[in-house]
Order: sequence, then C-alpha cells, then structure tokens
Amino acid sequence: MPGPVTVFSARKIITMDASVGEATHVAVRDGIILEVGDVDDCAAWGPYILDDRFSGDVLIPGLIESHAHLLDGMLWAKSDYVGPVDRHDPSGKLRVGLNDVPALIGRMKEIEARMADPARPLVAWGVDPSLNDPITPITRRDLDQVSKTRPIFVLHASCHIAYVNSATLALANYAAIKAPGVLRDASGTPTGELQEMAAMMAAIKAVASDLVGGSTDAGQFYNFAKVAQARGATTIVDGGGSTYFEPAFLAAALAAASAPDFPARIVAHNNGITVPSAQDMIKFAAMVEGKGNDKLVFQGIKILVDGSNQGFTGRLRPPGYLGTGVNGLWNRAPEELRQLVPALHDAGLQIVAHCNADQAAEMFIEAVALAQARNPRFDHRHFIVHGQLLDESLLRRMAALGIHATLFSNHLYYWGEFHRAHTFGAFRAAAMNPAATALRLGVVVAAHSDTPVSPVDPLLTLWCAANRVTSAGRVLGPGERVSAYDALKMMTFNAAYLLHRDHEIGSIRVGKRADFAVLAHDPLAVDPMTIKDIPVQATILGGRVFPIVG
Amino acid sequence: MNDSRKSDRTNRLPVTVIGGYLGAGKTTLLNRLLAEPHGMKLAVLVNDFGSVNVDAALIANRNGETISLTNGCVCCTIGDNLGLALHALAERPDGPEHVIIEASGVADPGKIAHYAASHPRLILDSIVVIADAETIRERAADKYVGDLIELQLAAADVIVLSKTDLVGADACRQVQGWIESEVPGARLLATPGASLFAELLLGQRAALARRMAAGGDGHRQTFAAWTFSRERPLDGAALRATITSLPPAVLRAKGIVRLAEEPGRRFVLQLVGRRWSLERMDVDGGYDGLPSARSTIVCIGPAAQLDPARLEALFARVAPATVPPAIAALLQREDRP
Repeated sequence: MPGPVTVFSARKIITMDASVGEATHVAVRDGIILEVGDVDDCAAWGPYILDDRFSGDVLIPGLIESHAHLLDGMLWAKSDYVGPVDRHDPSGKLRVGLNDVPALIGRMKEIEARMADPARPLVAWGVDPSLNDPITPITRRDLDQVSKTRPIFVLHASCHIAYVNSATLALANYAAIKAPGVLRDASGTPTGELQEMAAMMAAIKAVASDLVGGSTDAGQFYNFAKVAQARGATTIVDGGGSTYFEPAFLAAALAAASAPDFPARIVAHNNGITVPSAQDMIKFAAMVEGKGNDKLVFQGIKILVDGSNQGFTGRLRPPGYLGTGVNGLWNRAPEELRQLVPALHDAGLQIVAHCNADQAAEMFIEAVALAQARNPRFDHRHFIVHGQLLDESLLRRMAALGIHATLFSNHLYYWGEFHRAHTFGAFRAAAMNPAATALRLGVVVAAHSDTPVSPVDPLLTLWCAANRVTSAGRVLGPGERVSAYDALKMMTFNAAYLLHRDHEIGSIRVGKRADFAVLAHDPLAVDPMTIKDIPVQATILGGRVFPIVG
Repeated sequence: MNDSRKSDRTNRLPVTVIGGYLGAGKTTLLNRLLAEPHGMKLAVLVNDFGSVNVDAALIANRNGETISLTNGCVCCTIGDNLGLALHALAERPDGPEHVIIEASGVADPGKIAHYAASHPRLILDSIVVIADAETIRERAADKYVGDLIELQLAAADVIVLSKTDLVGADACRQVQGWIESEVPGARLLATPGASLFAELLLGQRAALARRMAAGGDGHRQTFAAWTFSRERPLDGAALRATITSLPPAVLRAKGIVRLAEEPGRRFVLQLVGRRWSLERMDVDGGYDGLPSARSTIVCIGPAAQLDPARLEALFARVAPATVPPAIAALLQREDRP
C-alpha cells in the first residue's frame, strides 16, 4: 500500500530538468517524486502533508560528489582534522584552517588534554606546511611539545607524508630504519618527517594501523556519507580503492548503508586499482553486481593511469613539468592498457579512468579507440577522472568515442598558484580543467573534490568551475569559466549521467528519487563569487529530511 | 655509496628488487629461480599470480595470497600494500632467507628499493633491471615510455639483458654498446641461465658458498671467481678507492676484512654491480675474539670478462706498507702456539 504524500514547499525549486525549469512545490511519496509545480498541481494526488519548513529556501536537486574516497570517512572516524584548509566536519561545523605551527600545536594540545588513556596514540590529519604562513617544516620537536610520551602521528593532506613525535620514533624503532624518506638532521636523528609509504610504514603499523588494510569499521561509511550530506550532497562516489569484493567488507558496508538514518547514497566504483588482472576485475565486478541496496550501489570500474600533478607524478605530454621537463609515472603500462581497456570494454563494464595529466588521457583515449574499433559500444559512458590538462583536441576525440569526464576543478583554487609557479606554468595553469570547452564540444562533464585530497563541498566545487579563482585571487583562464547554471548542472544532472543514474537522480522531475539540497539563497541569482558561502539548510534523501546541525 | 655504518648485516634479511619494463622477462627468470635447487628459502613478492608458472609438482600448497613450494620457497602477492607484505615476511619467525620483489613494469625500481629500508630487519641487496635485447631500443624511443625505460636502467645496480638468443650476437653487442652509452658505468650481464641468475641474485649466501666449500666451480664455463686474501689488515682508503674503480665485469663481490684504521673489528664488504657497502660487522666494541686477522675478498663475474691480472694489480695497493702497532701485537699473540 502506498505511503502518505508529503508536499514540500519552497521559495523556489530549481529543477535542472531540461523541460520544466522552476516550481514552488514538490509532492513526494515513498521516496519518489509524484509532482512538481505549485501547490494545486501537487494536490491532484489527493490528501497530503504539507512540509513548509523550507518555504523561505531554495530547493535544488541533491548535489552529487562525483569523485571521492572512503578514506575521508575513516579519517574523520579515527583521527582529528588539523589542516590549514577550512573543512566542514561530518556535523557540518566549519573547522577553520590552522595556518602556522603554533596554531597546530595549540589545537593538538587541546585534543591531547581530552584523551583519557595515556597510551592511546594521537592521530591527526590534513596538514600541509606549503600552505602555512610562514612555510616551516613540522618536526618531532614541535610535536613533542604536545606530548613526549604519547605517540603522535599527523598525516599530510596528500597522504604521502607523515609527521611524528619522539615517542612514535622510539616505539617504531626509527633509529634502525634507513629508508631515504625518513628525514634526518645533521646528527643523523630523524626530524620526525616521513616522506612516502616506505618511510611511513613502520609508524603506521605502530600507531595508526586503522588507516591501512581494509578495516570494516562502520564509522568510515557513516562519516563518509555524513560529511557529504553536511555540504548538501545526497550522493557521493567511493572512487575505487575499496575492497567490496571481500565478503566481510561488503557486509559491513551494506549493514551501514541500510540504516534508515544513513545520510547519503554511495555509488561505489569497482576496484581496478589494487586488483591486478582484467580477469579478476571482471570477476569481482560480477560478484557485487546487484548486491547493493537503496543507498549503496556498484557502478563502473576504476583504473589508475598516472599519478598526481602536484606530486609531480602525472604523465604529461611534452614539454613535461615546468622548468625541468621531467615526466611523471604510469600506474599501468601503455601496453597493458591496450589489453586491459578493451577487455573491460568487451565485458560490458563502464571504465572510469584516473588520468591526471594530458599524456595519461591521450593514452586512455587511444586504448578506448582500439576497443571501439574492435567492438563498437554505444552509451558505455567511460569517463576520465581529473582530466586536468584536457584540451580541445583531446576533448574532440573523447566526444567522438563517447568518453566523458569529471574534472578536478577544486585544483584551480587550492593549487592554481602552485601549478602556475611549479608544475605547469602560466599557459597550462590557465587552461586547467576546461569545463567550458568540454561542454561546448558535447563532452558531459562533472567536477569533484577527490576528498580527502580537497574538502568535499559541492558548492565550493561548483564555485571553482564558475569562477576559476585561485587562493591568491587570480582568475585562471576566464574563457573556461562556466555559468552558474552550467556549474550547477555539472554537480547534479551531469554527475548523475556519468554514474548511469540520470534516470533516478540529478534533477527534480516526476518519477525520480526525492533527493534535494535546501539552500538559503538562489545559486543562480547571487553573485557567482558568493555561491560557496550559501548556507546549506538541510538535505532531503528519498523524501526524508536530514537536518544540518552545524 | 654507503660506507662503515654501524650495523650488522648478518642478522638481516636481504632484499633484491627486480625491475624492468613489461615483457622484459622478469617473470620468466623468477619462475626459473623458484624452481632452481639453490638450497635457500626464498620469498618472491609478485604483483599477480597470473604469470607465476612453477611446476605443479613443486607446489606444496596454495593459500590465498601465498604459494608454498616443496623446496621451502614461497611466492606471495603484494596486494594493495607492498610495505605490509614485506613487513609480514620480515616478522615471520620461520621467515625466508632472502626476499625478491618483482617491481611492476612501470615502477621506478629505485623507489621500490626504499621499502627494503623500511624495517629494521630488512636490507637492500641489489636492484637488478631486466632489459629485453629485442625491444629495449624501440621502447626507449617510445613517446609514452621512453623516459621510463631510461629511469629504470639508471636505477639498476646490474642490468640483465634478456632474449639475447632472439637477436643474434651482433645486435646484442649493439644493444650492450647503446646501454653503456646511456648509462655510464652500467654493469651488464647478457642472458644468464637460471643457475647463473640465482648466483647473481643470491650471491655468496647460496651458490657461491657451496662452491667455495666444495673448492670447485660448477659454473666455470660462465661465471668465474677471483679471490684476494691477506694476513694483514688492509688500508681502508685504498680499499674504498679500489672498489670504486673495479672493472664492470665484477658483478658481485663479498669479503670479510680488517682495516688498519680499526684493526680490532671486522668489516663486511658487499658489492652487487654498482652498489657496494663496507660496514662494521660487530655491533659491540672491542676485539671479536676470532683467531685470524685474515682479510678475504671474492669477486665474481662472467668468466670471459673477469681478468685476474687486472684485479691483482688493482688490489695490490690495498695492503699497507707498515703494520700498525696494535695489529702487530695481535698478530704476535696469534702466532703463539
């Protein structure tokens, strides 16, 4: 028997539907939209409960975070955020960035003072000294001010560096660990900075083992969904490193997501990152196919083609990285991609390819062309993740082959100045994440945060695509700015399209799921430079209201 | 290269990194190595079991991420974390005697080698990069992987040229010449058989030790050993200079030596291709109570290229002209019946 009808009223409903753009009321039953229009239109479905708590607000389709990592949820669950970048925590509270070492130490002292068990390690995350003012390294001496006896482990925002105190160095026997990433002072004593996994490994095992090895902790799933919900997202993608093919992990994820108060939908890519062979990837994807529930589904298979641009491991076409001309690293060999991509394509899978720089994208496009020549498929929706240096020529080939993209627009703000000065130079920095050109050429683009790399905050990502402003206030490539409407479409309908979910989510239309974000102001009416500051009042997921406590 | 660090490598677990681009022949050589009767407990870490192809009769059991062989060797998949897999091996009470990591075809073997220094028990033995004689030059000119091929060759302590039988002697010489021009000082070995490869990888701990004990040489036709031995402590500076000027034909060297600068201790010399170290053997100070002050160094290389006369000349300078008083007393004491 159908449930009751609820009608939500709003100052304005922005539907992002191609045919009907605006409304004031939306009728919902059993999580599905019955009608969109005015109150009389909605009344055609019979008696209803009017929910007018958002009648002064603006309803938009639930925002979609199209590329993120579950690790974010694990970090919130198991450690404290102490980074220089403002981040909203899972409750929606803004954690203001700590921009110098004294502020960092002060915060960590507060955290330490609240810890009851003196043996428990203090694990924190999110620091990045390159964003501090002044830029000074974090050392064991700094962290020893917090505690000389409690082991301390602080993860860099990139997850490639950790900072530890003397207690951790002693506990994990760093006197005997000679990995080059263990920085040492003139006397040979470790400074406390551990660069890359080989150097961090012993410390992680000793004090932060939750962060590696496929933990089934329920908190990671809840916090991952909650941190997205707190910024207006109703769907967040878990971008491919998780091990849902392991029964215990899958069971934990399904159990968490099946709770009625689970605050967002997760679309999880299948793991083509740590699974080495095409055969196993296809097998594992088939294993989880249809095993999801209302709030956890599996879609596409994620593969890595190169590294990260700011880590100097992206694969660039000539002339390579600014100044040095060096190039980054492949994650899989081009010969292997020429086999793997057609194999996944032939198996009917959607391929989601991490291509950070342009040569990686070129290689992936070449591999898809091989696959399409042998076995043409329509509407496969293979897409590139990041695609930061796509240009018109690559985008035209993508359009011809049916490849789409989710761009890493947040880079324009957080690393725009860094790329201009250190990795790409002026021209390529101005051409980064070319949303306007992509849309003009018919490539469906979304944008993402890649959290924990940058904060999950779809309105901020939208703002980045619309304004292309760096943290220093410089506009990078004004010609690639998109309208607020197009930027909002990137974060809703386009993202849903990439996830093969545009028939269910991504716009407010009769028959779709009742997933909405409630904003205090109209994002299409305000000055585009203020979009990121619009308060998110709540989300509505399948008709259920999820307030933001903040 | 490193020198005189205070550590005892005898209790440590040596790690060899095998690098080289996709299809270079890494797995073929590892498969043969696993089956070779070298008498050592090896652990081989691979990215994927798919390519592991050891004789079914050799497999004792197979359990998730590990294949155990009847000869005591194990083959494990790296999974999503090389560090975890490697540390698990280092901490096993009945663990292996030598670990070999098969780096992925696109990895920088130099970075993978950092993991060999990520645990107190582990120590890097060498980085061996396999280069396919047939395709390496074409690959080095490829727009996608050319720079990677150069990076891998440059990271190698020893470069093993594979598939030389497919290209013929002339082409093989040309490739060798090309590699020597790209990587100055490269140590090259052309297509070794499995036993030779085992000897190169495992060094003194297996094949060489057996051969020395037996006083013979099972591989005389391919590998030769030259031994240097002195009763008196060596001149440390001259020894270091000699090591850095060894001919490329010396692919491995191992020695236990005393140095005039610190005659109360023994030092271990390890050399694999371009990588070498000379480290104090004893953690505690003082005379180690061993009866002999003798220094012995064994150099190994392809028989056709290893030139004993040249090595004699090079090592002639490492014996000091005068004996320090401390060591003279030591020698006198040992001379007593």
